[in-house]
This record gives sequence, C-alpha cells and structure tokens, in this order.
Amino acid sequence: MKRPRSTKRLRLGLLVGTTSALLAAGTAGILCAQSRYGNYAPAALGQLDQAVPQALREDSTFSVSAFPLYPSELAAGEGQQETNIFCGQCHSTRYITTQPPLSSAAWEAVVSKMRKTYGAGIPESAAQKIVQYLKIHYSPK
Amino acid sequence: MSRRSALRLLGAAGASFGFSATLRSATTPPQESTMPPALPGSTGPGPNPYWNSVGMYVNEPQKAPLLLLTDRPVQLETPRHYFATAFTPNDAFYVRWHLDGIPNAIDLKNWRLRIDGNVTKALSFSLPDLMRKFPAQTVAAVNQCSGNSRSRFQPRVPGGQWGNGAMGNAKWTGVRLSTLLSAAGMKSGSLQVQFQGLDTGMGPEGYGSKAFLKSLAVTNPVLEDCLIAYAMNGEPLPLLNGFPVRLVVPGYFATYWMKCLTWIRVLDKQDENFWVKTAYRIPDTPRGATTPKEVKAGTVKTVPIHRMPVRSFLISPDGGSKIPAGMDVILRGIAFSGYGRVNELEVSDNDGKTWLPAQLGEDFGAYSFRTWEFRWTAKKPGRYFISVRATDKTGNIQPDEPVWNPGGYLWNRIERQEITVGVAE
Ligand code: HEC
Repeated sequence: MKRPRSTKRLRLGLLVGTTSALLAAGTAGILCAQSRYGNYAPAALGQLDQAVPQALREDSTFSVSAFPLYPSELAAGEGQQETNIFCGQCHSTRYITTQPPLSSAAWEAVVSKMRKTYGAGIPESAAQKIVQYLKIHYSPK
Repeated sequence: MSRRSALRLLGAAGASFGFSATLRSATTPPQESTMPPALPGSTGPGPNPYWNSVGMYVNEPQKAPLLLLTDRPVQLETPRHYFATAFTPNDAFYVRWHLDGIPNAIDLKNWRLRIDGNVTKALSFSLPDLMRKFPAQTVAAVNQCSGNSRSRFQPRVPGGQWGNGAMGNAKWTGVRLSTLLSAAGMKSGSLQVQFQGLDTGMGPEGYGSKAFLKSLAVTNPVLEDCLIAYAMNGEPLPLLNGFPVRLVVPGYFATYWMKCLTWIRVLDKQDENFWVKTAYRIPDTPRGATTPKEVKAGTVKTVPIHRMPVRSFLISPDGGSKIPAGMDVILRGIAFSGYGRVNELEVSDNDGKTWLPAQLGEDFGAYSFRTWEFRWTAKKPGRYFISVRATDKTGNIQPDEPVWNPGGYLWNRIERQEITVGVAE
C-alpha cells in the first residue's frame, strides 16, 4: 500500500512551543517557497513502499511521501508520559530507547544538554520526573 | 501423521538413497522455546557485538529496506552485504539527519543555491545553471558519519548507536566549490565558508536544535577538492541523501557534506554556531583519544573533526555459517582512508599474530573504497579469528587499540571476525 502523499496533511505555520504542536509534530509539514518539509506519518512495519509513477506530475516539484513513524517503545512506568511529551518535541523518543544503558550521571547530563544547549522548554518538575524515569528504566541493571 | 513419524519416514527415504542428513519438518511450527531471541532494540553496557546496529528494517522513500536508528529525524544504517562492492547503491546509502524538518518536496522553479556574505557579488544558481554553466567534475569519495561504529565504544557514549554501516562510497558529479567562490569573489578579511541546507528543527531560534550549519576555514586546502554534487553514481541524489545538491568534501567526515545545500555564506568572523563551536569536536591528541577522567577534569583541548583515519572491513564471509575444512574461500572486503589511498591490506587468520598481504581491487582514486580479496583455506577445523588491517599512502596503519572520546568519533581499530571451520569428512 502506498503511504498518503504529503500534500493532504500539509499544515502551515511554525509549530514550536505549544502542546498541540508537540502532538501534531508527527503529521505536520512546514511550507516555504522552495520546499515543504517535516512531514511524517505513522506507518506499518514490513510493507514495501512500491513506486506508483502515475501519481507523479510533470511539474517542477520533486517530492517524496511522508517519512514513516513507528510507535514509541518507551517502557511503561511513572514519568513515561512526561518523557513522551517533552522528549518527543524535537525528535522521536527512539533517541532514548536506542541508547545503551547510561549511568545516572550520563542521563542527567543528557537532560541538561537538551534544556540548556538545545533550549528545550521543560519545566523543572517534569525534568526531574523524566530523569528519575530514565534512571529507573535505562541505566545498567 | 505425527511429526515424529514423518521424520522417520523422511529419514528412511534419505537412508535408502545412500546419504544421511538431519531433516527438520517444514510443516510444524517451531516451539516458542526453540525460537532464537529477537534482537534487542539497543545493546550495552558492553560493546555492540554485531557488525551492524540492531535496528529493524524499515522502508523509507527512495530507499531499499535499511536498518532503523531513529525515525524522526531519519537515521538509517546500510546492511553489511552492500559493502561487497566498491560503490554503494544510492537506495542502500545510509541516512543521517540531525533535525526533524527534512524536506519532503523541493520546487526547483524556486530553489536556488545562494552564495553571499563577504563577497564582491552575491550570486544564486538554479539546478540547470549548475549543470550547464560550469564544467562537470566527478570524484569517487567515501562518505562516513563521524560516529560510525560508535556502538563499539567502552564505556559507551550517548549518540547514534551506529554499527559499521554509517558509511558509503559513490561517484559524485558536480561543480567545484572553488569555481563558484571565485565567481562570487571572496573579499579580504574572509575567514570561513559556512554551509546550510534546507533542514530545520523544532528548537528555539539561535540554538543548534533549530538550524544545522557547518563551516570550513578559507585557508583549508580541502576547499579546492570540494564539489557541489548534483549526481550520485550518475543519478539524482535521493532526497534523504541531499537532493538537489550536496557538498562533497573528499577525505573528510560526512558532517561537512551538507545535504540539500542551499546557502553558502562567506564569513568575516569565526563561526560560533553550536555545530562548529561545540559539536563534532575531537580531542587534540593522537587518534583523538582521551579518557573519561580527563574529560571530567576538563583538561581536554579540542579541534573540529576533519579527515577520516584509515579503516578496513571484512565483508564476507560474515561468520554466520560454518565453512568446511579444506575448502578455499575468498575473503572479501573494502578499505579507505582520508589521508591518501590505501596501498596495503593485510589479513591474519590467527588473531593478528602473523599477517599476509591481500590482493587490492581496482583503484578508483584516493578517496574511494578500495575492494580487496584474499584466498583462504583453513586446513583444520576450529575457530579462527580473521583480522584485516590497511595502510594508507601517508603510512598510517590501523592500530589494534580501541579509541575513546566523549563524542564517539574516529573509531578505526582493526576489525576481527570469528569464523568457524567444520569437519568435512
Ligand atoms: C529543543 C529540542 C529538543 C528537545 C525538547 C529534546 N531534545 Fe534530545 N536532542 C535534540 C537535538 C537537536 C539532538 C541532536 C540530534 C542529532 O544529532 O541527531 C538531540 C539528541 C538527543 C540524544 C542523543 C545524544 C546526544 O546528545 O546527541 C538523546 C539521548 C536525547 N536527545 C534525549 C532527549 C531527552 C531525554 C529529552 C527530554 C528530556 C530530549 N532529548 C528533548 C533536541 C531536543
């Protein structure tokens, strides 16, 4: 099956900061004169996305379908929801689940880097909860 | 018929033809307990024991199924078997983006490559301008992620947990960067040339999470080798590899090879942006090596990452199956270096005690993968450790010591592969 083309899911505007933006990030695209970008859509595993030439038009726009998104694999537990929302703003939480087990200090450093260096807007109370969650589920046993 | 009686029947049929074999029933599903454990989504705290990273196969636009690191932004690793040849197919070429706003569509009527900043004349070029107005140049060059093989590090470091497949080799065709820079005319006081592509992130303005930019010093001789490539292996670049044009910096790590390159700015001051000043830096030490202790003490002086140290790989056999004793097998692989062509490749079948030279394949230039072959016969059954090591023109030889730095960069230790040779009679 062909994944839906990005045009239909296109949204305008900058999507930084608000909660709805965080949740919409998965399917929203951004448009400027020369390009359209940031369009992702949930996808099923194990299907080959076969080329469908008749869907293409002979204009000057060169496009690809939405980039596939796969379900978050964050471990269940206290703090999962905060981690999902706040750590899924700029990248998928797969950035967390693909890491090797990291020490408590390393997780603290990661969360602090996201906030200070990358400017992640995460309230202190949520940040503490996230660090606690990461230490419990993603540190060496 | 029960499974057992079916097996007995099959066994009897086999025996009556004068051979014997162990047969497994094709109709009975394997028991849960006999199934191999699924690969984990991550590895550690020890090193990743596999050649590749452990992600699942996924299907991204214009790509063959590749191994998933992350889905947003897209990061995909190339499976081992694709490295059996000198050139990596475009649809199998690994993918690495930093920010999640990756182009899905580019309107070439409006798209322009722009050069501005400290120049006499700001210029912009359409894709046909680049293809027709300037002589086309082609270079075979390896593109390798700075963090390739990061999952080998001990202790492990955060970042993309690549196996060995965050690399690829292609014939890149395009315009010389220096031609365009001279057309624009760099004014005196120019210090760096900054590159930016179409990707953008969700972070706030002024942060590395918003824009990805890289720079090279105007005095860096590598600028003379740089191409602005509109073709990869003679075809348009896949969007995920930087369509319509990407910067090619032969010999340098891929962090400089800006994808969807759109802005070139000549700067009259040092680039202070995060991706130059803070990220992609290596200790200013031999091999870029340091220790967690030195990092903690804050005594490590760093420089921007630059050329790729010499590396080589055994691609096949991959150790996944037994080889019968006495049978000739061809060991095959690739080698490359950012410091000049690989002119020697050696193989050891005794874990590095003695080395024999391998046959090098066709030479596609100093920056290309070079294939190699070695005919090997294991006379006796047993477990063998095959190691391969390359030497480049500068005289650099792959070391057997691991390297460690907090970024997970510059891994180039000698690779080893365990191979089991079985009894043939
Ligand atoms: C403001 C945007 C933003 C937010 C919010 C954010 N990150 Fe990141 N994160 C980034 C960027 C940018 C990178 C670098 C991406 C790359 O190089 O591929 C990154 C990389 C990472 C990495 C890889 C290691 C590294 O340092 O590059 C991990 C792990 C990570 N983030 C975890 C988190 C966690 C946990 C949270 C929630 C506390 C979070 N991120 C929230 C922007 C963000």
